[in-house]
Amino acid sequence: MEPNANAFARNARKALSDRTLQEALGRTTGRFVAHRDAAAAAFPGFEATRERASAIKRETLARLGTHLARFIEEAERRGAVVHVARDAAQARAIAARIAADEGITHAVKSKSMAAEEISLNDALQAAGVEVVESDLGEFIIQLAGEPPSHIIAPAVHKTREEVSRLFERKLGEPPTDSIPELVGMARKHLRAKFLSAGMGVSGANFLIADTGSVVLVTNEGNGRMGTILPRVHLAVAGIEKVIPRMADLPAFLRLLPRSASGQTISSYVSVLTGTRRPGDAEGPERMHILLLDCGRSAILEGKYREVLKCVRCGACLNVCPVYQSVGGHAYGWVYSGPIGAVLNPLLLGLPEAAPLPGASTLCGACADVCPVKIPLPEFLLELRADEREQGLKTPGEIAGMKGYAAVMRRAGLLEAVERILGVVVQFFTKGNPVAGLPYPFSGWTERRDFPAAAKQPFRKQWKIRRGVRG
Amino acid sequence: MDPKGPIPVSLFFTCLADAFAPGVGFAAVEVLERFGATVRVPLSQTCCGQPAFNSGNRKEARAMARKFLLSFPEDGYIVTPSGSCAAMVKHGYPALFRDDPRTLALARSAGERIFELSQFLVSVLGVTDPKSAFAGKVTYHDSCHLRRGLGVYEQPRELLRAIPGVEFVEMEESDRCCGFGGVFSVKHPHISCRITERKIERILATGASYVTTGDLGCLMNIGGMISRYGYPVKAIHIAEILAGGSEGGR
Repeated sequence: MEPNANAFARNARKALSDRTLQEALGRTTGRFVAHRDAAAAAFPGFEATRERASAIKRETLARLGTHLARFIEEAERRGAVVHVARDAAQARAIAARIAADEGITHAVKSKSMAAEEISLNDALQAAGVEVVESDLGEFIIQLAGEPPSHIIAPAVHKTREEVSRLFERKLGEPPTDSIPELVGMARKHLRAKFLSAGMGVSGANFLIADTGSVVLVTNEGNGRMGTILPRVHLAVAGIEKVIPRMADLPAFLRLLPRSASGQTISSYVSVLTGTRRPGDAEGPERMHILLLDCGRSAILEGKYREVLKCVRCGACLNVCPVYQSVGGHAYGWVYSGPIGAVLNPLLLGLPEAAPLPGASTLCGACADVCPVKIPLPEFLLELRADEREQGLKTPGEIAGMKGYAAVMRRAGLLEAVERILGVVVQFFTKGNPVAGLPYPFSGWTERRDFPAAAKQPFRKQWKIRRGVRG
Repeated sequence: MDPKGPIPVSLFFTCLADAFAPGVGFAAVEVLERFGATVRVPLSQTCCGQPAFNSGNRKEARAMARKFLLSFPEDGYIVTPSGSCAAMVKHGYPALFRDDPRTLALARSAGERIFELSQFLVSVLGVTDPKSAFAGKVTYHDSCHLRRGLGVYEQPRELLRAIPGVEFVEMEESDRCCGFGGVFSVKHPHISCRITERKIERILATGASYVTTGDLGCLMNIGGMISRYGYPVKAIHIAEILAGGSEGGR
């Protein structure tokens, strides 16, 4: 999808005034948070598992090249073809070529953020392949022509009423306010697609180096149908998804569903290892694995390496007061919430997503819930410092900060400024709260008062009351 | 330090208390002296530099952090009526001076010696009875940096519960951000206010007559919206409740 992260402020204002969105966000994020907290509390090993998973990821990233090489070797030994794409354009070209070589005209796709990252559907459609999203949420937003707004719940911004209207318009279904009926409509529509598709496209939650397996964690069964029924399976995954051993997987399977939706385990866990072997009852005849670098190697080399530990559970989105207020589309690219505010600038380049690191109150709730302990608030701070280094701050902000620092470096000067400000503010407000600050602070007082400056600052009063003993 | 003798404490009154709420500074002094502290107030102190640090302006943040480190004695406790300023010194300074070993050592030392007021009273001085008097139904907002940055959750609650006349009531989502976020509230006032609205809903739902917290930033933010819309609740700093409801000094 086309990034418009630089329009964050405008996107956010639009989201804030969208009443349906506000209703949907309030309902869903609250439920996810409550479920996640309950699941974490009910699992005594949660903290220890977080530590372990974080350590596994950290150690894997330290020698990612070795683990990737092992993964590729093992996957190919079991019949898969592994492709590595440097960037999105190359990834799209590879996918289009695979479709052409395999003679694909119809594909079903399960949810994949990596595929969103490279706009895979556009590439396949341009190559003459009809791609149908088979995850319910993705199916809904594909009909609506929208990108996902949440990592695990792509249509979280839609209410059932909207979905019913959409199904009525696009599928000719009768209106209903029953969720099971809506699910039934989607299922009926998709069943035919599963049976006729030549290729199933999936993402990957994990890649297992010692077996060459692709692991999918899903709830709807569409991932399993889509990877087993069609003749060809194409899995798309970032290179950071690799973990060294099958024995490492359980730790992540404990954390991911609990963190994402509060489930003890998801409905389906598929471990897909190679192509169909003689005697196998099912499985694809051909398996392609498309590994995306797309900026990840660069992240791996720098101070943000640990962001690549992310398992895409979405827990940080659900607890983030900013995400809860504006939803995912405001962030303007594939990833949203705190992880998006860090990852989007790193993958797109900071100039393409400059407002995102500032789209946080730094409350730290995201770090509290991250199952693999990514220091998201620290990274947000680092990125803000990078913006200054890269000349992405407005001259106004820099001048303001310089002036502020100049005053704060001398208590005497601060006192003088406070004295003048005190007189001015007292003159205008008579000690009442300030109802209107001048630009650039005017937004603050649109719906909030600002305290009036004290008649006499603390320092001054202290000097008078206690003498200058310090 | 001899636990029986006077306890030397340097007060970091913070730039916000200095300019907007001097009463909070005096309340902190009053409470500290009540429990045997000898309070010094270094008059060359200004601001911890958090607004510059949090907005990514590290050069300016470093200048202010150096100024802070020079303003305070190299030993003894530093106490402040602000969780977020204490967290800045404790966690922000080491990040600012990671390439400057000499200043880093000073910063680390200050970080070990700095405490937020309620944390100092309970965890260092072992205060169980705040010897205060305050009448009213009170709810407490956990400022993010105090709760998550310093891990202070029980201390202010213990103190509030022990004050005769205080009816303490928990709000839902007490540790959810109030929407202030410093520079965030200026850059994104609309999102900020949306978050504040939800905080105020939670406060009002308790039926409390007072909402208190250990951070002037949150207090300005929550109090600013309360003041604008005339909600039936008063925002007050916990130092003022501990001092016995004195709001003087303005």
